[in-house]
Amino acid sequence: MKTLTKIIIAVITVSFFSCSDDFLEPVPSSVLSDANYFNTPEEVETAVINIYDGIQGVNSTSTNDNHGIMYEFYLTEMRSDNTRTKASEGEAAQFENYSITTNNGIVQDYYASFYNVIYRSNIVLANLDVAGSSAAAFEAEAKFTRAYAYFNLVRLFGDIPLIDKIISPEDKVTAYTRVPTSDIYELIVSDLQTAVSGLQDGSKYRASKAAAETLLAKVYLTLNRYSEAQTLLESVMNPGRGFALEANFKDVFFNEGNNEIIFAIGYVGDTTDSQNFSAEWLNAVGRTSGVNYVTEEARLALDALGGNRAMYSYRQDITQPSQYQVVKYIPDGDTNLGINPTSTDPTKAGNDWIVLRYSDVLLMHVEAIMAGGLSTTSSNALSSFQLVRDRAGLTTPVASISRQELLDERRVELAFENHRLFDLIRMGEAESTLSAFSNANGYSFTSTDLLLPIPQRERNLSNGLLGQNPGY
Amino acid sequence: MDLKFKLTLLIALLMSVVTHAQSSFSVTGIVTSDADKQTLPGVSILNLKTKKGATTDFDGKYTITANSGDVLEFSFLGFKTQRITIKNQTTLNVGLIEDSNTLDEVVVVGYGTQKKSHLTGAISKVKNVNLDQIAVARVDDALVGQVSGVQIAATEGEAGSDPTIRIRGIGSITGELSPLIVVDGLVVDNDYLSALDMNSVDSFEILKDAASTAIYGSRGARGVIMITTKQGKDGKPRFSYNTFSGFKTARQSDAYYLTVAETAAAELAATGALSDRTRYKQLIGVDTNWQDIIFDGGIITNHSFSVRGGSKNTKYSASLNYLHDEGVLLTDDFKKYNFNLKLDTKVSDKLSLGFRITPTFTDRRRFDGSTHDILRQPSWLPVYLDENTIQFVNRFRDNGKYANVQVGDYAIQRMFDDYDLVNGMPDDGSDGTISGTDISNTSNTNPAAKVLERDRTDDKFKIFGSMFAKYKINDNLSFRTSFGGDFQHTKNRRWQGVEAHRNGAANTQLDLANTNRYHFVTESYFTYDRAFGDHEVNAVVGMGAESWRTEINASSGGGYTSDLIQTLSAADPTTITSFSQDYEERLISYFGRLNYSFKDGKYLASLSLRTDGSSVFGPNNKYGFFPAASIGWGLHKEDFLSEVDAIKTLKLRVSYGVTGNKDLRTFPRNFQVESYPYLALLGPSSAVFDGGTLSNGINPLNVANPDLRWEKSIEFNPGIDFGLFNNVITGSFDYYIKRSEDLIIDNPISYTTGQASSLINIGQVENKGFELELRTRNMVKENFRWTSTLIASRNENTLLDFADSNGQIQNVDSKRAAEWINLVGNPISSFYGWVVDEEIPLEFINDPYHPIGAQAQDVYVKDLNGDGIIDDDDKTILGDPYPDLVWSFANNFNIGNVDISFMFQGSHGAQVRNMGDQYIYNHFNSAQDYISATTPNQEFIREKIFTNHIIQDASYIALRNVNIGYNFNYDLLDKVGLTSARVYVTGQNLLYLTADDYTGFNPESINTTVPGTYGYQRAGSPVFSTVSLGVNIEF
Repeated sequence: MKTLTKIIIAVITVSFFSCSDDFLEPVPSSVLSDANYFNTPEEVETAVINIYDGIQGVNSTSTNDNHGIMYEFYLTEMRSDNTRTKASEGEAAQFENYSITTNNGIVQDYYASFYNVIYRSNIVLANLDVAGSSAAAFEAEAKFTRAYAYFNLVRLFGDIPLIDKIISPEDKVTAYTRVPTSDIYELIVSDLQTAVSGLQDGSKYRASKAAAETLLAKVYLTLNRYSEAQTLLESVMNPGRGFALEANFKDVFFNEGNNEIIFAIGYVGDTTDSQNFSAEWLNAVGRTSGVNYVTEEARLALDALGGNRAMYSYRQDITQPSQYQVVKYIPDGDTNLGINPTSTDPTKAGNDWIVLRYSDVLLMHVEAIMAGGLSTTSSNALSSFQLVRDRAGLTTPVASISRQELLDERRVELAFENHRLFDLIRMGEAESTLSAFSNANGYSFTSTDLLLPIPQRERNLSNGLLGQNPGY
Repeated sequence: MDLKFKLTLLIALLMSVVTHAQSSFSVTGIVTSDADKQTLPGVSILNLKTKKGATTDFDGKYTITANSGDVLEFSFLGFKTQRITIKNQTTLNVGLIEDSNTLDEVVVVGYGTQKKSHLTGAISKVKNVNLDQIAVARVDDALVGQVSGVQIAATEGEAGSDPTIRIRGIGSITGELSPLIVVDGLVVDNDYLSALDMNSVDSFEILKDAASTAIYGSRGARGVIMITTKQGKDGKPRFSYNTFSGFKTARQSDAYYLTVAETAAAELAATGALSDRTRYKQLIGVDTNWQDIIFDGGIITNHSFSVRGGSKNTKYSASLNYLHDEGVLLTDDFKKYNFNLKLDTKVSDKLSLGFRITPTFTDRRRFDGSTHDILRQPSWLPVYLDENTIQFVNRFRDNGKYANVQVGDYAIQRMFDDYDLVNGMPDDGSDGTISGTDISNTSNTNPAAKVLERDRTDDKFKIFGSMFAKYKINDNLSFRTSFGGDFQHTKNRRWQGVEAHRNGAANTQLDLANTNRYHFVTESYFTYDRAFGDHEVNAVVGMGAESWRTEINASSGGGYTSDLIQTLSAADPTTITSFSQDYEERLISYFGRLNYSFKDGKYLASLSLRTDGSSVFGPNNKYGFFPAASIGWGLHKEDFLSEVDAIKTLKLRVSYGVTGNKDLRTFPRNFQVESYPYLALLGPSSAVFDGGTLSNGINPLNVANPDLRWEKSIEFNPGIDFGLFNNVITGSFDYYIKRSEDLIIDNPISYTTGQASSLINIGQVENKGFELELRTRNMVKENFRWTSTLIASRNENTLLDFADSNGQIQNVDSKRAAEWINLVGNPISSFYGWVVDEEIPLEFINDPYHPIGAQAQDVYVKDLNGDGIIDDDDKTILGDPYPDLVWSFANNFNIGNVDISFMFQGSHGAQVRNMGDQYIYNHFNSAQDYISATTPNQEFIREKIFTNHIIQDASYIALRNVNIGYNFNYDLLDKVGLTSARVYVTGQNLLYLTADDYTGFNPESINTTVPGTYGYQRAGSPVFSTVSLGVNIEF
């Protein structure tokens, strides 16, 4: 009997103790552990691809997901005189009436999303040592996306933390120290210069030389470095590069990957890689009852100056005829306009988001030549300007272009493409234009509204390290 | 049909009274207490056949006449009733066994049992006495009010949905909060409670303090519910059948029935005239109470059949159960099929074996809608168009979208817009534009369509099996080893049909998800039991291992143009997406316990230790150590009290222990991070490149924390157990203070790191309170017995440390961003916001009478710091969602063959943020804005949602259960071959009182149970009352 007892004890002891180390460390089968990854160029490339996933954002209505570029229109178009919410509902309405609170979830989402893009870019940069012959190309690509993220953030928030490598949560000084915009721009310019020299033309959905040049040109315009901008833009305008305006304005948006596109964020309808911002712009199709609705001011501008662009830019809301919706990026089609749906479910739309396109290049070219002046009669500028207007059916040649005319042209050409606010600021017209707009509509614009608040969440976590923009 | 049959059977029983005579003789004997052999005076003896009775005298002696074959029933207060059949004997001495309610009952504890009189921890036992007659679908629903310190709230009222169970408050923030469930000694998933049949349950033991739960180590901190199922007994098979059928009806909210008539009357009174809109609404002539539509009531039916029996060496118990609960909501439905087989056999004097298998199938249809969304629909809207209402449909508007609607189609609000009141017809646009009176306030489809045109089911198959071997090594030492497993297959299906969606977005969809979960557990331990002299020692030492593996496969498709074929194959192929993931968890445990008793409970001590190793934590902190100790002092055994007759038992006890919590519940759930938080994980990601092609990337999922470790709760629990006046009053009182520290917090970190949060151990929460259980036998006479039970618990929750999250403000919905604050010194997730000063007078509201029942969305708030402006500094804590006091008071009466019991149960001091008001009263609608041109003091106006306007008192008092039963006489039953029969009527929530300011229909309803934002109610599902009739027979 004693023997039996001993056997039982022995069996159990052996069976438990012998396997306990392995037993308590099951290997995850649906995810990877970072410790055994990033050994080959192919593996580094998966981190490059991941950057674009970050810009694209998550198609969800959860406040826990980063929505990337899908939320950009709130912070740009809806803070300009182009759009507003349909029913002044919820925190989205804070943008149009310039009463943004420091804990606005949309602002916080964008801040999180684009620092996440920077993080994803930094992961690539931290693993270049195993990227072999692709190292230079990956570096250029990651620096392009990092610069792109910083350029958006710095224009929206002003002084911001500068993160140029992966930081740990303990590095609170780096995480919460606001760096002057000039330092941020220094990194942006340097990153984009690396990108210009390290990239080739080719993809419209990944960083390319043309995209880097165009973006850097826009950065230079913002920094009043006009001649450098002009050189870059003329490089992109070289016919050999293959960029041209689409003959039909509608095709810019509904013929994806066309010649006019320089850089776009891709989406595929009905998949997890779809987008939902288009649905939000409709009447109660998305989660909101309707946002990014067209202001009367934008509508009048399009009617007056848009030529044949107006009908592809906005339309009457069929269910609420006093309201007007954006047509660009419409997800569920419009039979009157000959536009097909991009998905079965409009909240899973397939419309790509265009970041940079050729008419922007042409109009920036005019701006570069104008070089901060009030007008230009340069024939180079006039020809670029005329190309854009000709396509809109406005073929009467112009002899000179004023700054206001350029702004107006950009407004109607690039309406609802998140350019308006930055254009106004860059050309120094934001305060006057938005004050007038605000007064006319009973909103409360002041000059400090040109920058967004640093998210209160970040400030709370910083224990006083992270400051706030004036006016908040 | 069913009920009819049962009634017929009963009548047959009543009619079959036959009398017959036989020669009788005298039976005499002595009745003693089986435990201490003391004679018992006053025991009543009843000859069930002749109906003659007798009582024992002072020496326990009795005499009664009987015939051979008669049955004598011996009953005495505090002892189990015994029935003995006379077989010609004239002397019959009987030893009565003490009843379960007294102190010498045996209590199931972790890895063993213990005499209740020897307990030094806080454990409550609930015997299944008529619990199986409460007409509810789940066993946990029946436990409401039965135990102190346990809060069971019907947070979601759908049929088959799980209630929220919390033992001694909320002690974790990112951890599991529901208690550990142990069935017949083996740990099971919490979801097991949905599959269990109450008829097969013998008892529940609730382990509350750390000393009792520390033997479960890393899972003990949230309390343990031990469930013991019924076992077979020696003798011939005993068949038992229990059935009930009940009608369930929902408790409606009068405040949420907003009629056209009332709004019109209010408008007329205030303005002296009716607006066009109101006149039009009256013209339609409909006043739908949407609560009538979606709270359709239902029937609950249960059939349980079991057979139990066995020989000296082998015992068996088998049961079959079918339950069908139609729920009170439209479409909700829950069916349960359960089979349970339990077999125990003694192979030899030394070796015994046990087997158990329980397959269960549950089939649940959900109410796939939101009550708040439906109830905010105006009452002028019918469900379907009829001959009258179709006249109001504008067939011209929206490009003729409604041109072809017919009688019987769903009515959609927009159809009724653009009505020409002057000509009394929908405007046809003959004057160039289609315009007229608009009354719609949403483009949504009909609210009933949202529910009826969706089909969402959760089907689960579970099988739980286990076996054990017990080997008696010698008289004192035994060894037990067991192996068990449960397998769960869950199929979630959700169909959203073509008419289920709002206008303009006809996105049909089918979602399918299959989840398999495999859980294996093995445990082996030695038990040593020995008594020598005044000493009793009981020791347990053993080890266990467990593993869990979960596989999820999900896919969905859309683009359906009809409801005819609801499969993925019929979906538009471009819309099909799928997803899968697996994860795994493992646990190894070593445990031991030593109980010591001196002089049969005069002095008691207990020490337990457990070490758990878990795969959730990294090599640095894989193992956790959980010690506990407790002592008890049986004062009634001391000389100075032994002479005090009033005190039968009096025991003081103190316990102290450390327990843990390892089960992470991230929000939103990320199973990978929960399973491997110590690793830096990379998950799949994808981006779209040229030509719409998807490219696969990888994305970091978390910030790895190799140092992550268990949450730890340290609890101190002094308590007292007492039995007074010969146990006429028994009870216990416990005080506890539990500090939960090293709480795992998904601590927010700067977004500049690229991640939003990292899991770290840092928070601290304290729960303290008291629990009282008091049981009295108020009156015991022949054929009359009245007992009462009073249970009360109080818990106070305080956040002691919340690291960088201190002062964190959270919301559930950024669109309606009412705030919660987690602030040290206050309860977790306190409601936060401004304090209402006064309502804005209606004259300043844009359109106060549209939509129906609308209220102003804004309100004047108080400038708390008096600085003349309203800003964040004027916000304050507005309340918290945790009750201060939860109680129940039950009474049982036995009057002859009839017994009546009822229980009142209440909760006080909790608040709820009733977002239902926000929706149903249209607080967010721009029509309810104040008029900016005329409204005074606009700087003091804020939206109601940010104030205490919708913070409501969630207190309630409910008549939880009523049970009236009739037990048929034995002699009557004998004729038809039955051993017992009972017919009963029960009622649940027949009375349910809520606080005056509460507007909803269920103060217990909670939309999300995440600790950071607890207490968010969005109308939810209603409290329901049930009246049922049941029969319980044995043969």
